[in-house]
Parts: sequence; C-alpha cells; structure tokens
Amino acid sequence: MNTFIAFLLAIISSMLIDNVVLSRFYGICPFLGVSKKVNSSLGMGVAVVFVIILATVICWPLYNYVLVPAGIAFMDTVAYILVIASLVQLVGLFIKKYSPSLYKTLGIYLPLITTNCAVLGVAQSNTDQGLNFVESLANGIGTSVGFLLIIVVFSCIRVRLESANTPKAFKGLPIALITAAIMAIAFMGLQGLFSGLN
Amino acid sequence: MEILWAILILLGLGLILGLGLAIAAKILHVKEDERIEEVAKKLPNYNCGSCGYAGCKSLAEAIVTGKEDNLKKCKPGKEDLNFKPIIEYLDEHPNPDGSKVKVHM
Repeated sequence: MNTFIAFLLAIISSMLIDNVVLSRFYGICPFLGVSKKVNSSLGMGVAVVFVIILATVICWPLYNYVLVPAGIAFMDTVAYILVIASLVQLVGLFIKKYSPSLYKTLGIYLPLITTNCAVLGVAQSNTDQGLNFVESLANGIGTSVGFLLIIVVFSCIRVRLESANTPKAFKGLPIALITAAIMAIAFMGLQGLFSGLN
Repeated sequence: MEILWAILILLGLGLILGLGLAIAAKILHVKEDERIEEVAKKLPNYNCGSCGYAGCKSLAEAIVTGKEDNLKKCKPGKEDLNFKPIIEYLDEHPNPDGSKVKVHM
C-alpha cells in the first residue's frame, strides 16, 4: 500500500478506532475536568495536541539515537517524563503570554498535562511496539487529534446537559460519566472499520 | 558503567531542557503588577485556601486589584507579621492613577 495512504490510515485508526479516551481510557482527568465549557475544552485539546506531537518528535530520536546506543533503554520512561514536563512548562508560558483568560480557565489542569497518561502513553507505546519515526508520528497525531475531537464533542454534550431535565441525583458529574460510557459504547462500533482492507 | 551513562545522559538532558526553558521564560515574560508579588510574599504562604482563593498568589492578586478588601479572610495570617506590613506596603505603593488600595483587617 502507498506509504501516504498507510500514514493516513494509521492516523484515522489511532484517532477513531483506538480512541485514546474512549477505548484506552487514558487522559480521563482533563476529559472530565475541563469539559464544562466548549472554549476551555478546545484550548485544552489544542495544548494536548501540541504537547503530544512535540513529545513524539523529540522522544523517538532520543530513544533510538541516545538511550539505545548508550545501553540504557530501560531509562526511557524517566527520560520521557523529563521531556514532557519541560514541554508542558513551555506551553504554560506560551498560553500565559498570549491568552491569559485561557490560562485562568485551564487553571490547575494545564500543569497536569504533565501527568496526563495520554502523553506518556503515546511515547511509551511507540517504544514498546517498535514503531519507526513515521509510524510514531502518525500514532502521535492520531491519538492527540482523537483526544481533541472527543473532549470537544463531550463538552458540547455537557453544555446541552446543563439545561436538560436530568433527575437531581444525576445532575453534574454522574450524568457526564454515563454520557462518557455511552460514547465509549458507540465508539466500539468502529472496531473492525479497516478489517476489509487487509 | 550503565548507571554512569544513565546519570550523565539524564543530567545532560535536564540541563539542555532547563536552559531552553530559561530562555523561553525570558522571551515569553509577562509583565505583571509587581505589587502582587510583594503582597504574596508578605502573606503566610501556606497556600491553604481557607480564604476561598486558589492560593496565596490569587488572594494577593484579588487584594491588589481591589476585589478583596478584608485581610482577615486569611485565617493563618497574623496581625503583626502579615497584615500590618501589607497595609503599610499598599499605603506606600498606590495604584498608577494615584488612588489607594483599600484594605482593612
């Protein structure tokens, strides 16, 4: 198959079929925490996209050209966390400078991207599956855009839920969790989307 | 031998990233009201949150911008140690338009 088509297919597959939030259950914390408003969820999603793609681009050469030749491949997680923490700091500085209001709405969740397991999960699964650079990049782009897509869709649903007539016991987070579960079931329907192609 | 490499490489990586961040912090520096920093220094800095704000920095911001005028909101703060120096400081450093930041205990 053409490399470019394979690249696109890999992006779509990690975006929709193996969606990071709904089928791998990574990054639930910002998914529930910052999805009350569409704007802040969009900002969070874009920040995560930026961090994941840059982390992939830095971590892959770091692993293959520095850690493996030095014989310390077992230190990969520690090195990745170092890279990710610095990137998150950089994004924080950037958002503080150019969008103070977004900085305020993201609040504590912005530094918490550091511990967002979606970011570390992408870097780690690239290493564990032994993907090459282009495949890693496709995985990074797909996963992060999948996160962006889901958090924005989810925040739109939550905005509608605010005005819906939900029973008192379900108001707020409980109905949000049920919604997330239904979304996860819906996304299971995409499994096997590409099975006919092979 | 391996452990030596691990220490050296991680140290080097940390150094490079730290330098990069230091440069980025200089370039992306945001000019803030320096009185917020000074008032935050004079608060107890437990970041306990009992004042209802996210931390001492947020309370200091609220005090300087005039959203909060009651220093007693800060539960662990002592009159002589924290509140009086803040009132004195804000007396000496008025707003840019000359008006004073009004606070009381």
